[in-house]
Amino acid sequence: MRWLAAISLRMRSLFHRRAADEELDAELQSHLERQIAANVSAGMSQAEARRTAMRDFGSVESLKEECRDMRKVTWLQDFAQDLHYGLRMLRKSPGFTAIAVLTLALGIGANTAIFTILNSAALRLLPVPHADQLVTVEQSLRYAANGGSIHRNIHDDATFVSYSEYRAYAKENRVFSGLLAYSAFTETSLVQDKPKPIMGTLTSCNYFDVLEIHPQRGRFFADSDCAAPGESAVVVLSDSAWHSTFAGDPAIVGKTITLNRTAFRVVGIAPPGFDGTVAVASAFWAPVTMVKAFRPSSDYLGDDYLSWLALIGRLKPGVSNRQATANLSVIASGMNSLQKGRITTVTLGPATLLSMPSMRSILLLIGSLIMAAVGLVLLLACANIANLLLARATGRRKEIAVRLTVGASRGRLIRQLLTESLLLALLGGGAGALASMWSTAAIFRFAMAHMPVDPEIAFALHITSDFRTWLYAFALCLITACFFGLAPALRASRVDLTVAMKEDGAHSQTGTISAGRLRNFLVGVQVAACMLLLLASGLLLHGLYRAQTVNPGFQMKNIEAVALDLSSAGYTPQRAAAFQQQLQDRLAALPGVDQVVQATCIPLGNSHDMTGFSTPDKAKAREVEYNHVSANFFHVLGIPILQGRTFTDEEERSGARAVILSQSTAWRFFSAQNPLGQALLGGDPVSGKLVQWQVVGVVADAQVANLGDSSKPYIYETAGPAQQPDLSVMIHSAVSNPAIAKHMNSIIGSLDPDLSVTIGPLSEVLEFWRAPARVASTLSVILGFLALLLASVGIYGVVSYGVGCRAREIGIRMALGADNRDVMWLVVRQAMFPVLTGALIGMVLCAAASTIFSAILFGVSPLDPGSFVLMPLFLLAVALLASYIPARRAMCVDPMVALRYE
Amino acid sequence: MSKPTDLVQGTLDLLILRTLTYEPMHGWGIAQRIQIVSNHVLQVRQGALYPALHRLEQQGWIRAEWGDSENNRRAKFYALTKAGQKYLQKEQANWERLSSAIGLVLDEARS
Repeated sequence: MRWLAAISLRMRSLFHRRAADEELDAELQSHLERQIAANVSAGMSQAEARRTAMRDFGSVESLKEECRDMRKVTWLQDFAQDLHYGLRMLRKSPGFTAIAVLTLALGIGANTAIFTILNSAALRLLPVPHADQLVTVEQSLRYAANGGSIHRNIHDDATFVSYSEYRAYAKENRVFSGLLAYSAFTETSLVQDKPKPIMGTLTSCNYFDVLEIHPQRGRFFADSDCAAPGESAVVVLSDSAWHSTFAGDPAIVGKTITLNRTAFRVVGIAPPGFDGTVAVASAFWAPVTMVKAFRPSSDYLGDDYLSWLALIGRLKPGVSNRQATANLSVIASGMNSLQKGRITTVTLGPATLLSMPSMRSILLLIGSLIMAAVGLVLLLACANIANLLLARATGRRKEIAVRLTVGASRGRLIRQLLTESLLLALLGGGAGALASMWSTAAIFRFAMAHMPVDPEIAFALHITSDFRTWLYAFALCLITACFFGLAPALRASRVDLTVAMKEDGAHSQTGTISAGRLRNFLVGVQVAACMLLLLASGLLLHGLYRAQTVNPGFQMKNIEAVALDLSSAGYTPQRAAAFQQQLQDRLAALPGVDQVVQATCIPLGNSHDMTGFSTPDKAKAREVEYNHVSANFFHVLGIPILQGRTFTDEEERSGARAVILSQSTAWRFFSAQNPLGQALLGGDPVSGKLVQWQVVGVVADAQVANLGDSSKPYIYETAGPAQQPDLSVMIHSAVSNPAIAKHMNSIIGSLDPDLSVTIGPLSEVLEFWRAPARVASTLSVILGFLALLLASVGIYGVVSYGVGCRAREIGIRMALGADNRDVMWLVVRQAMFPVLTGALIGMVLCAAASTIFSAILFGVSPLDPGSFVLMPLFLLAVALLASYIPARRAMCVDPMVALRYE
Repeated sequence: MSKPTDLVQGTLDLLILRTLTYEPMHGWGIAQRIQIVSNHVLQVRQGALYPALHRLEQQGWIRAEWGDSENNRRAKFYALTKAGQKYLQKEQANWERLSSAIGLVLDEARS
């Protein structure tokens, strides 16, 4: 009950402050009177008794203050008082308040916007009931050195599991109420009137049960749907696919749709807002046992060495992550014993839309870079406001001195100044956070609409703010308030009373020197941050320019590419060969077409094949990208053959193990030796087994895999019979022909009406490479100029303040014969010191950090001399301009006025 | 312990609480009582007394009430609460243990 009494006392002193104070007065008064009476009865005169009693009592006011402190509510009262006072101060200087609030709104708004996106993507749990019970299960495999002959095929992500592994985990675990498996990003064609690409997910039949999602129409999968491979062709549609593709047809449940040539019966429709368990929205879900219908070429269910399923489990109540990991590890060790040398590690993680490690690491990198950039802008904004506050504090020296003289403690004063800063931060941050919360989703949609992504890809991210975003914005306000408020408050409260109380406190030399140092430091920080952002944008702009103008080492003029995927469409190599032959003949017959080229990977396209190659003695081994190409590939793309020859017809017909190396690949494997006729060990494209390949030619390096980088090893193999289902086609025509795509489309449609293809000029692939560069450079240029604006305001402020403080000195110098040039030099020289130091630090920081984004620089060096010379010069010019304007004002100082002013 | 500033905070609390075990008293009375009982060795000044009283009240060891004093003057009377009594017993035992321990050490040093 003690605390109850304490609280009621506290409440009383808080809300009946006056009554409590009066009571204290009365108590002390009665004490005094008693003491006087006691003194009188001890024989003193009335006057003497009163004097003695008063003397003994000491300072009544400080005693009262102490008693109040004992009640422990003073800080609250003080806070209310500070708040009130702070609001009044902000109202008194609306210009300052407006600038500070606007700057902060920009800084905090940008930060909150980025955080909102990151939060929605990576931190928020899946939008399903009780998502906190869901965990992703990842397995990572290692093979002991001498048992490592097992070949693991990886589809999408190395942490995925095979079907048999999923079954083992699902059956043997004792920690999940349910464990689901799914394979997202299943690209296939949906044939309505004509074939259309569509993205879906293959799932275990307990998928929706584990996620606790209920259909809005029809049913979800039953266990019987997954009982036997290929038996149950049923499909669940997403709400958006139902509306967009099937016009919300209420009778769709029970109807049959054709996915990749197989008839599927629609059994249900997912509720609105559920787009699957990865960041790319799923249009449909089909049982995992139907995989053969989507990927006919290989045996996904039977291959124990294929990683293709992601796992999500729902923990039983009371089971911790540790217990679950332990249980699954026991099951995994059982698998270890089946495969020689295998060591399995099981990891659990929270289930979010970005739980796949490969996607998470990309987002983490991009996210942290953007966070760093907007963080720098906020830093600049803080430095600017700190500078403004410092200038104001100097103006308020007398007010502060008065408060100190009448007995305010320094801590109390700092608290009051900080309260003012906090008010500013909350106003600015509140405005910025609100604005960002309303605009982020729209900005994200806009950015995504301008990214060149395949039409079937829709993002499942719902960019919305939640308590975490609010918390983040609020924390940011508190941190910035301390950041820009603390130093000025500490400075301002350290006032030399005797000097400040004199008429002209603002001109005291001792005060301005250390304040000036602090201001210079702040300008230095600003310039460093600004330099970093400007340099980054300079580099990225150069990279973008390079991407627009780069010569990739092969020619793309008048070449149209047809991306085919016969293997997904269920073609056997024999059928594919017949199709390819027909297609080739019909395309070659088109007017103006002089060459038809085949390749499994279209140059700079989004499909990449990679495998290990080594010299026969295994001395030199490395992962190399490879491509199966027809013999005329090099001629049509204008890649010179430097040594040897291209593939012969005989080699193509038989699918001979002949390879052509790029120049740098040949150098890496064989150095100065003649590579022709040499042998290489490499994986067989079909079986994956190590086989011997013979080098028949060497061609010039070309940027066929990565724009801006031609030195990566690249090997060309023959397009033999086994590769027919995987080949895409490019045609070259003598003159550009805008109608050719239409012709090609109708030819393919007549050969196979159900086949979905993408046709476009080869040069269009460059767009995929330029888009990230364009987005990154746009962002960095905007941030860079924002930073430049803030920094130049900071420089301007410091210089004009310095000029104001030194008006008298300048007056004396001019009276003694200094001319305009000397004065200008004096002012500018002082301003330039922090600018140069800051710029130098910024350059060093950028040089250290710029390798991070070398991937979108397209061969521009991270230490690109152009950017590292031009950008600092540009910044310097702006800084000079910012200091020139106030410096010119200094030249106009009339010596007589300046001297009399004192 | 000739000056009140020498009074360790806890000691002053202890003295006040002990003084209040007899009857509720007002501030001046407490100071007088301590002075008299200690043969004028301990003089409690207002500067220490009132903050201490407010602190003790805040902690719930004592309770304050306005009442009429001997010559019909209004005064704020402080009384010991149950919690305060318990606290005092505990603290007094501690104090006795401590002072007897110090006494032992000092006596031994003398002999």
